[in-house]
Amino acid sequence: MKQSWDGKDLRDMFAAGSSWLEKSVEEVNAINVFPVPDGDTGTNMLLTLRSVIEEADRATDTTVGVMAKAMSHGALLGARGNSGVILAQIFRGMARGFDGKAQFNGIDWADAMVQAAKTAREGLSNPVEGTILTVIREAADSGRQCAEKNPDDLVAIVGETVKEAGESVARTPNLLPALMEAGVVDAGGQGLYILLDGAMRFLKGELEDLQFRKPQMVSANITATRNVNMASSEEDEAYGYCTNFLLEGTDLDPEKIRRKLEDRGQSLVVAGDETAVRVHIHSYDPGGILAYATALGTLHQIQIQNMDDQHVGFKEMRRLKALPTDIAVVAVAFGEGMIKLYESLGAVVVKGGQTMNPSVKEILACVEAVESDKVILLPNNKNIILTASQIKELTKKSVEVIPSRTLPQGITALMIFNFESTLEENTLSMCEATKTVKTVEVTTAARSTQVRGMKIKQGQAIGIIDDTDLVAAGDDVTDVLMRSLDIGGIEAVEMVTIYYGADLKAEQAGEVVKVLGEKYPGKQIELVSGGQPHYFYIVSLE
Amino acid sequence: MIKIATDSTCDIPADIIKKYGITIVPINVLFGNETYRDGVDITPDQFYKKLVESKVHPTTSAQSPGYFSEMFTRLSKETDEILLILFSSKISATYESAVQAKALVGDICKIEIIDSGQACGALGLPVIKAAEMVEGGAKMADVVAAVKDMCLRSHAYMVFDTLEYLRKGGRIGRAQALLGGLLKVTPILTLRDGLVTPVQRTRSRTQAIDALVNLAKGANKIEALMLEHATTPDDLEILAKRVAEIYPREKTIFSRVNSVIGAHVGPHVLLMSIIEGK
Repeated sequence: MKQSWDGKDLRDMFAAGSSWLEKSVEEVNAINVFPVPDGDTGTNMLLTLRSVIEEADRATDTTVGVMAKAMSHGALLGARGNSGVILAQIFRGMARGFDGKAQFNGIDWADAMVQAAKTAREGLSNPVEGTILTVIREAADSGRQCAEKNPDDLVAIVGETVKEAGESVARTPNLLPALMEAGVVDAGGQGLYILLDGAMRFLKGELEDLQFRKPQMVSANITATRNVNMASSEEDEAYGYCTNFLLEGTDLDPEKIRRKLEDRGQSLVVAGDETAVRVHIHSYDPGGILAYATALGTLHQIQIQNMDDQHVGFKEMRRLKALPTDIAVVAVAFGEGMIKLYESLGAVVVKGGQTMNPSVKEILACVEAVESDKVILLPNNKNIILTASQIKELTKKSVEVIPSRTLPQGITALMIFNFESTLEENTLSMCEATKTVKTVEVTTAARSTQVRGMKIKQGQAIGIIDDTDLVAAGDDVTDVLMRSLDIGGIEAVEMVTIYYGADLKAEQAGEVVKVLGEKYPGKQIELVSGGQPHYFYIVSLE
Repeated sequence: MIKIATDSTCDIPADIIKKYGITIVPINVLFGNETYRDGVDITPDQFYKKLVESKVHPTTSAQSPGYFSEMFTRLSKETDEILLILFSSKISATYESAVQAKALVGDICKIEIIDSGQACGALGLPVIKAAEMVEGGAKMADVVAAVKDMCLRSHAYMVFDTLEYLRKGGRIGRAQALLGGLLKVTPILTLRDGLVTPVQRTRSRTQAIDALVNLAKGANKIEALMLEHATTPDDLEILAKRVAEIYPREKTIFSRVNSVIGAHVGPHVLLMSIIEGK
């Protein structure tokens, strides 16, 4: 096994990584939503890397210390955009790690990566988790741990770094709400993962793969929580000017420059040393920024781009990714889990239900707020059906109301929504769908009464079918549920979905599922935390 | 006579390939370092067995420009006109590779390359129609126009048990929106603008088959129909019986989902491809 590598190897690893990234530049651009959705992360990273490799090619000394320094210098000279500048910091940290070394082995690489992660963070005035910063840190830490066990096995260590980088990328939406909302992973992190993956493939000698195959993009295992049924709801905010330049001089103080610029814009990155400082900032006043910098030294590679222009191109790219429907669905729902469920199915939710019917005004506001001109309403309650019907006359938008009386009816209707059909066709099939589901609800009797010979005491559990027929009552919630399900015709259905309420624990509900599973083998039984108040159980029989 | 070529994702049954002398370009499917040419080195049975058993998730890769230029050169010895119809360029580099190869070989003969934007039966059905036209003596320009038109009216509706394979393979496209849902969903997806795009969600395989039947009923007029499965012949038969009430069974083409698409959709996919009438 090869034990030590030199500067040429390091250069070739990153050259391979850059070519690898080049193949997926468009894909990386397309998922760029943070800090500004301008769709250029991949391009910026690639251009930065080209400058890295150019500088590396010029280096005549092939010790790793000198080579890494040349690469870092190249990154600083060529850095473009937010991600490019952070990448430059990563190379700078790596050069620190390799400083003074002629060759490197596994543990040297691991240490250099840890340095890189640290330096990247230091370069930012406001480091944000769920970005390339998180990815490089988690990847470096993982590589370092692997190096403890096999300090000489560079291939294994880089392999571990890459593996963790991929997993870290997949987790980014959990850390950064902007990503979660758009249903994508962080673009910079994705780019870094591909770069490292390419470097690893080179180390492993997978040259044919590098030539003929394409990198795998990491996907987020989450859904876009909003906008799913809507064409797009991007706000047309102005983003100002993306300002980018290299400041050269003597005795420059990057830390001081950062403090000075902090309040003058967003996405500020300042990176460099006493002789050269790279600045990236989104600002409404690029002139003021340049004037400040001119006083400190000479300016080079000045780039100022109007981000509104960039944003237009980005919108077109996102359009290709959007769902092919121009219809929005607005649903009335209550209970934390229920609301999440509706949102995960693409509906926009107005909070409300049995005990707190939303007003016409509230529903109307939501209908007006969605981007789409065609809206389907799911009232999910018999009292709200009437309210919802009034919306039609109050808006210019085309509104259709599905007469759903219960939350399960609404879910079944939402499920059948066809992304390619018209408003009319969808309305028809969604109305039909509400008839295919039977709803069983178990709640508490609000007062003592007598229904069809059943004596009910206040506070007892009662079972209701389709929001109208009270079919069972008793002191034991589970018993009332079981009896109601029998009367509701559980025997004949294929699918049972149980939404348990806020007043029940998951274990209690799980017990019910176990009993039902034994009693009715072969049925698809699902348990979901609905989190609804007042209702112990809401069950859908389909 | 025009020589027609396509790739292995077309799912055209062997007897029809033979009847019209269609050339098939095998796409590569890889398990780690093992490379297989789809339909040449690996049969669907072998592939799906491996898909379920292997710890490594398979990937796929386009043929190189070198492969295509060699093929063009070989075919040019038999014909003056080659029509190559390929699967969606949005999910594979195959089309790009072929276009590069065309530039490489220069003027050896007339070469037309079409990006169908489709895969599976939705690619195979237009290819078969093209072959019939060529057999009937149609001219290149007419065949090309007809194929392009048919590809727009051609739909592959796919029933999925899980979107995990699509996600892992990076081909999730617009179906990203269906990920992470809180209920178990059996979605129906298709290729639209060459990208994976959701059509509908259902809650179970039974509901999904109902939905496929409704999609067939809802079609303007069915010009051609292909039904395919990966590892579930029984489900295919249930679907076939119900679709037979809408379109004659004897005209329906039955096939098996190829390894390349299989790698991205998983072993339980059920597929109905239709060319819809104008």
